[in-house]
Amino acid sequence: MRRVLLLIAVAAFALGGAHAFTLTVAATSDAVSLSPHDTNDQPSARVMRQIYDTLIVQNEELELEPGLAESWTQIDDLTWEFAIRSGVVFHNGDPLTAADVVFTLNSLRDPAVAAPGAFILGFVDTVEAVDELTVRVTTGTPFAPILSHLAHTATSILSEQVVTDAGEDYGTEVVVGTGPFKFVEWEIASQIILERNDDWWGGDVLPERVIFRPITEGTVRAIELEAGAVDIAFELNTSPRDAMRAIENPNLIVTQQPTLSTAYVGFNFQKEPFDDVRVRQAINHAVDVEPMIDAILEGFGSVATSPISDMVFGAHTDLEPYDYDPERARQLLAEAGYPDGFSTSLWTNDNPIRIQIAEIMQAQLGEVGIDVDVQVLEWSTYLADTAAGAHDMFILGWVTVTGDADYGLYALFHSSNFGSAGNRTFWSNPRVDELLDLGRTEADPDLRVEYYLEVQEIIAEEAPWVFLYLTLEVNGTQPNVSGFVPHPAGHHRLYNVSKN
Amino acid sequence: MFGWGRQRSAPPERTSPATGGRVGIEATLLKYIFRRIILLIPILFGVTIIVFGIMFLTPGDAAILMLGENAPQAELEALRERLGLNEPAYVQYGIWLGRVVQLDFGRSIRSGRPVTREVMARLPATIELALLATLLSIAIGVPLGVLSATRPNSAVDHVATVAAFGGLAMPVFWQGLVLILVFAVALGWLPPSGRLGGWQYYILPVITLGTSAIAAITRMTRATMLETLSQDYVRTARSKGVHPRSMIYRHALRNAMIPIVTVIGLQFGQLLSGAVITETIFSWPGIGRLAVDSIRSKDFPTVQGVVMVFALLYALVNLFTDVLYAYLDPRLKTRYS
Repeated sequence: MRRVLLLIAVAAFALGGAHAFTLTVAATSDAVSLSPHDTNDQPSARVMRQIYDTLIVQNEELELEPGLAESWTQIDDLTWEFAIRSGVVFHNGDPLTAADVVFTLNSLRDPAVAAPGAFILGFVDTVEAVDELTVRVTTGTPFAPILSHLAHTATSILSEQVVTDAGEDYGTEVVVGTGPFKFVEWEIASQIILERNDDWWGGDVLPERVIFRPITEGTVRAIELEAGAVDIAFELNTSPRDAMRAIENPNLIVTQQPTLSTAYVGFNFQKEPFDDVRVRQAINHAVDVEPMIDAILEGFGSVATSPISDMVFGAHTDLEPYDYDPERARQLLAEAGYPDGFSTSLWTNDNPIRIQIAEIMQAQLGEVGIDVDVQVLEWSTYLADTAAGAHDMFILGWVTVTGDADYGLYALFHSSNFGSAGNRTFWSNPRVDELLDLGRTEADPDLRVEYYLEVQEIIAEEAPWVFLYLTLEVNGTQPNVSGFVPHPAGHHRLYNVSKN
Repeated sequence: MFGWGRQRSAPPERTSPATGGRVGIEATLLKYIFRRIILLIPILFGVTIIVFGIMFLTPGDAAILMLGENAPQAELEALRERLGLNEPAYVQYGIWLGRVVQLDFGRSIRSGRPVTREVMARLPATIELALLATLLSIAIGVPLGVLSATRPNSAVDHVATVAAFGGLAMPVFWQGLVLILVFAVALGWLPPSGRLGGWQYYILPVITLGTSAIAAITRMTRATMLETLSQDYVRTARSKGVHPRSMIYRHALRNAMIPIVTVIGLQFGQLLSGAVITETIFSWPGIGRLAVDSIRSKDFPTVQGVVMVFALLYALVNLFTDVLYAYLDPRLKTRYS
């Protein structure tokens, strides 16, 4: 339906005659680099999404569509062939060939390049050009979510010639893609200016220019929107009060969008008493997430009942949350041998929302006799020390960017991923490992869903986490802006946005 | 004795030494400046060692930050290898220093840009802001302080005192947001944030950054002026019938200037390096944000670059202040030899 409306809007627009306009976007931070092989952060991905294309496109409904790959066939369990769209040109006028695709994917997984997004292609064995416009990818073991991985911004297709010529300046001084917008200028920490690519293979690009302005404070992004200085403001939910004010402002359009991101508290299985399931379940019963969402997030979230967002392929949407029952929690603690509770710590990084969550949880666990010491750590220390297993309990989040349960579960719950790779609870369950491996290699989507549902049931029962909440992303636009459809993974496409 | 000295130094034209002597003193002053600049080298060297030490004593590294929550061990190792983080700390420092001696400050670990480019892209924005804020604080702080001192305990003095303490006590982030809400949202006169060309973008950040400096300079001017106005030579001048304005500005203020200049110098240094909050609120592309971002991402070549620039600016402001003393109080010139 949304698609139809969009088409009507576009048609009306075309009939009315194109008018040139600049779209100014309040971004959450400056991009780090515009080379997909140098960074894997969200603010950079949001700009790169406009400049580059990927082989496969995952639309706003998380459906996979042809991108630079016009079609694809699975030759056997381990082999895929992608037919590259003909006639696509880079922003510098060079034609896109299979060699560029091979170069891009091989460079992304090259240990010497050490790209932060290399793990996206961790399953790939070889990438080679069959002919001028055909690329063959082989995998070490069957890998079912391959297409959603090839839609990730980290796999954006680059020009071999341009990247090689630019050397270390690629991504900051030189940026060339095939996407709807061309890179024009980057005033560091001030603005990134893009302009329309009239030759884009994907069709009409409506804005003549797009300007990304990094405005780190959520409050100021909301104010810029209220003052009419920007057309679109991203992630107002980082400052929930300001998001509320923007929503109440009749002169603005503010959307609340479910995302692929989930927040959780993890237990360290290498430490007592968290190796006892009764203790973990007791804590789950002792924690009430509703007041956290109301008080801290101003309602911009929903209670999580599974480790992955409802929108993710393979998500279990029928799991019952642990009900808030301090009495049951005390009983479980007594059964586990802690009738008077115990002392422990809860770690968080210096994120104001997480710190407040930790404080509420501290109070709630105090009710059942668990004395919690909240410790706030700087981000790099936090990542290093939780990877090393120095913690008791910790708060983290996860974004299942590919929209596939494999991405949201394998790194976090498979025992081969202990520590920095994602499993910071050090939980190991042979059945979960087996199911996750099956889900990753099985081609039949129905069977995959079955495996993932079972995994989530075991996780809910064994309780290596306290599920906290699923984040709602709040984005605002001026009333004269139309066609802005937020993407659940956060990198919103702007080519279809118009302004009256 | 002290009063006599001060009195002698008050009118500059009378205390100026003969032409020959002036050349001699100018030469010694130049030599002094040169010596101070040479001294900067060991200072900068020491600063970089301390910064490097602190960064390496804290856990975590740039690789872990770039890969985030999902960092398979093999990829962490590959990235550390590429960034040279597997070398012992002293080797990394040595390699870095070896390049710096050849004026190559390396590339940012995070963005891959040359550090000089990262720093130079932001330095003008910070210097502009600090300079304008300092000028504003002098333009308001000095006259206000003089006014207070010449009318102690008057209504003007009380208002200035309350305003100054208010200015010192007001948190920058709060003041900045209130200014934005009033002038950008409610009145719509000025843009809320950014530095996109045009004087309008400067007004709110300069006021926000300058407020505490205005307060500090007002208080210091009032205190030293009160002291100076009670000196014998001021009374002498007054009794000789010197015009009150001339007495205040030519005789008293000039003599009170040394502590005021010291405060201005210190404030300017603070405004240069302490503008992080103002820069964050106003999305100002300054070096303060770069400092914080690079420290948080353990981007040590960038941190070193930023810290060296801060150290250099601080040292130069100090030097400038010291040289200014010599012009304000000629007796000090002889000490530079």
